[in-house]
Amino acid sequence: MIGDHQLDATAAELRTQALSLFGRSLHIRTVDTGSCAVCESEIRLLAAPHYDLHRLGFFFTPAPRHADLLLISGPAVRAFDDALREVVEATPDPKATIAVGACALGGVYDEDEFVHGAIDRIVPVDVYVPGCPPSPLALLQGLLVAVGRLQTRVEQLTLDLDRRSA
Amino acid sequence: MLWFLRGLRRGIVTTRYPAAVDDWARTLPSPPAFRSALLTDELADRLQDACPSGALRHEGRELSVDLGACTCCGRCGEVCAAAVVDSGEVLLAARRRDDLIKRVPIGGAPDAPGSTRAGRSA
Repeated sequence: MIGDHQLDATAAELRTQALSLFGRSLHIRTVDTGSCAVCESEIRLLAAPHYDLHRLGFFFTPAPRHADLLLISGPAVRAFDDALREVVEATPDPKATIAVGACALGGVYDEDEFVHGAIDRIVPVDVYVPGCPPSPLALLQGLLVAVGRLQTRVEQLTLDLDRRSA
Repeated sequence: MLWFLRGLRRGIVTTRYPAAVDDWARTLPSPPAFRSALLTDELADRLQDACPSGALRHEGRELSVDLGACTCCGRCGEVCAAAVVDSGEVLLAARRRDDLIKRVPIGGAPDAPGSTRAGRSA
């Protein structure tokens, strides 16, 4: 079991290093697996002047074949299973997947006959971005974490204010 | 020409992130933080009932907070405004899903500071 964890960690590390080879040019394809479209609205705002993700070398592309990174939102409706697998397969390696929003992380819908309830139940996820919807700022952090240009900081976060002040 | 001058007067609107986090980031909807000393078992039960997405769970002597499931709706803050406040933290990207699950001890930390939280959950 521990060996598996180490293997997973090494694989994740290798993937990050491979992705960091993209340097400052990376193409993003968004995948909507049944979200309410507010996550998409926030993703679209990334290209607005206030966030301007192009200054960081990120670009959107309509074709998974041209994409290096998938931004996947929504609770993974079962009707979209085949399409999602095809999109992930069509994206050339090395690739990264980001689960966007509380639905995609398993927060809103339980697993039932209509939805899987979380993206990582069907495709591997490299970075999780929480929020309902996540702010474009949070998405920007997720993107930079996925290509290894930023470290995550949620591990150090404590929600206990009495401990924080102590 | 007038539009050009108007645009110049507006200044730079683009965020400084990732060089720096802008001040307005603290005003975005964010998951709750807790005053653990004010938490009781009864309050934890009410928080669990109030949470529509099941992000808050009362587990033993701890309140488990799943940041991934939290929709920042603020209903826990309505239950007890003294014990529940906005964390102001939106940069929550994680590489592992488990990193998003946080634990808050109910009734504060009884033992000396510096002890691990994992040891207390037993």
